[in-house]
Amino acid sequence: MRRKLFTLAAALVLFAASPGLAQIKIGVLSDLSGPTSDVGRPYADGVRHCVEYLNKHGGIGGQRIEMLQVDYAYNVQQAIAAYNRFKGQGIVALQGWGTADTEALVRFVARDEIPTYSASYSAHLADPKVAPFNFFIAADYSTQARAALQYFHDNWTEDRPIRLGLLYPNHPYGLAPIPAIKAFAQELGYELVAEDNVGLGDMDATSQLLRMQRQRPDYVWVGGTISSTAVILKDAQKVGMQAKFITNIWGSDEQLLQLAGSAVNGHYGLQTSVVFGTDVPGMEVIKEMTGGRPQMTHYIRGFASMYVMAEAIRIAAEKGPLTGRAIRDASRALRDFDPMGLTPPISFFEDDHRPNMVVYIYQLFEDRMEMLAEQELERRPEWLGQ
Amino acid sequence: MRGKCGLFHTSYASETRFFQSGFQKLSLGLFLVLLLCSPFFLSNYQVSMLNMINIAVIGAVALNLLTGCCGQISLGHGAFIGVGAYTTGLCTLAGWPFFAALLFGGLVTAVVGMLFGIPSLRLKGIYLAIATLAAQLILSYVFLHWTSVTGGAIGMGLDAPVILGMSLDNDAKMFYLTFGVAAASVLLVANILRTRHGRAFVAIRDFHQSAESVGVNLFAYKLQAFAVSSFLAGIAGGLWAHYTMYITPEQFDIMLSIQYLAMIIIGGLGSVLGSIFGAVFVTLLPEFLGVLAQWAGSFFPNISMYFLALREGIFGLILVLFLIFEPEGLAHRWRLIKAYWKLYPFAH
Repeated sequence: MRRKLFTLAAALVLFAASPGLAQIKIGVLSDLSGPTSDVGRPYADGVRHCVEYLNKHGGIGGQRIEMLQVDYAYNVQQAIAAYNRFKGQGIVALQGWGTADTEALVRFVARDEIPTYSASYSAHLADPKVAPFNFFIAADYSTQARAALQYFHDNWTEDRPIRLGLLYPNHPYGLAPIPAIKAFAQELGYELVAEDNVGLGDMDATSQLLRMQRQRPDYVWVGGTISSTAVILKDAQKVGMQAKFITNIWGSDEQLLQLAGSAVNGHYGLQTSVVFGTDVPGMEVIKEMTGGRPQMTHYIRGFASMYVMAEAIRIAAEKGPLTGRAIRDASRALRDFDPMGLTPPISFFEDDHRPNMVVYIYQLFEDRMEMLAEQELERRPEWLGQ
Repeated sequence: MRGKCGLFHTSYASETRFFQSGFQKLSLGLFLVLLLCSPFFLSNYQVSMLNMINIAVIGAVALNLLTGCCGQISLGHGAFIGVGAYTTGLCTLAGWPFFAALLFGGLVTAVVGMLFGIPSLRLKGIYLAIATLAAQLILSYVFLHWTSVTGGAIGMGLDAPVILGMSLDNDAKMFYLTFGVAAASVLLVANILRTRHGRAFVAIRDFHQSAESVGVNLFAYKLQAFAVSSFLAGIAGGLWAHYTMYITPEQFDIMLSIQYLAMIIIGGLGSVLGSIFGAVFVTLLPEFLGVLAQWAGSFFPNISMYFLALREGIFGLILVLFLIFEPEGLAHRWRLIKAYWKLYPFAH
């Protein structure tokens, strides 16, 4: 009992102590142990390394960044608790993670004026009317899918409409871009021939693919995560499908190449950042921070997300007292800010938090990801939040 | 009572009293006063934890009435909480006063709960668990796909509750609301258990044929248990919705149902006090482990990531240890502690 009390007391003392004055405190919500931890860990590594890099080079305007990290295991309740703890510790900005926590905190961060950069690229979070303090540094899910449709439409040579199939999980994340895909596919003259569900945890997609194969699609949208995408690609190889698969941002990375092996050859992956090893200035920094160990694209986006946020904090700090509102306004003043080439240039606007309309289209091979094109779309106002 | 040694009961009424002694009344009163003052001396984070505990207490008491007292296992309470959340949210968005919306949310959930409780006449044990699991899945599907009403994958944004023109826009104000509702719910369930209805529930749990043979209408009472339990779950949902101010289908998935089951198992099945203990324990454990992991991480910075990740595993381990070493829950341990001090220093 005494030992328990001691542990409790020690924990409380450490918990209550919040040292340091000339520091900029940033909350980081990470999933290191929950269902999305396979991609959450590299992302969190990226954020952490960016903070370390900035601190090593003098911090922001001479102030060190103090990173307060909580593993919330993709649990909304724990995310809210962590957020409230961060707030008590005096954070000025938050690096969030998934859709569940980002959405649950939308109203909290708006009320407390804590600008949040998350890795949930849900289109509605880019609409300042819905989420006035939320930002992200990648084209949203709907824009990513639209860019792919545009690219394959522009490069289509045959004299018939493209036959499109859709495979997605019956899950908020999978369903989010589907209305946008359907509408834009219709606009471009695609023929939607098949639609089916493959769950995020499914270990077999043969029956769905056999059904889909009968409709002979040219391209199939895959809106899952790594494991379900690997299952789909392997089963497609098994049943001998000719269609090319378009895998979305959380469904194609270096893990997929390992999991699916030769089944990935020739399919496509959408990215909003460069992959490890690309010749951009930021890659030197990342190589320096990681000792040259290859990192996944999620790491690079985590790094870039923190880097862009740090830029907004730097601008806000130069102008006056560092408040959440000042960082929000500084974020909105960013125009074509280049995070060392890691992502396409970023701009946020007062009435439009879409960072850019650029999507990198990669072709996947079992040993590499090859950039095919940088597809840019026009910034249509009616697409905001959709 | 005065002048006698120990507790004597000379009537049933005195035996079913909540508080058997003046000391109990005094200590509970002091505890309540302390809780009511707590927003003044606790940090915002700590008050927010109290809010979550209050909401969890309502849900746990609700589930314990159905599962612990009436013996009807439910794997659908996460979804019932969701029904309450969405209904209350829709009503406040339509401009209803908060309490009217909250009550209506509870009533709608009660109807939904009764609907899914109908199979309970025929199904018992694991079969009923599967039937309520179906309720969970069906309702999750409705939350996700009835886009025009629930907002589907995008979810529903709400405002902080407004009561008599005052917006409860911070944790301290919200605390008094959640605390009041939680106290009322606990009182309601504790009182139900002292009535004919409560005794009927317990009789059904202990042996349904005996219950029926002494005149308990099984179907009616099981449905009543589902109704009251779902009503309170709906109330918990309505509070949760207006506490987080943004609800999505992901928040009301099967994991939430399991979490509530874990609360009543840890706390003690069939015990109101156990529900409270369970709710406190399950809500605070991840926080405590998180603090511990960070503390450990400060000594071993290189492996702090793994410490953080270990937390979920420890959470699971603690649940298993509870099932093995404390199957009757924290409420039982609490009784033992009380008995120990009652006899102190003459322990038997």
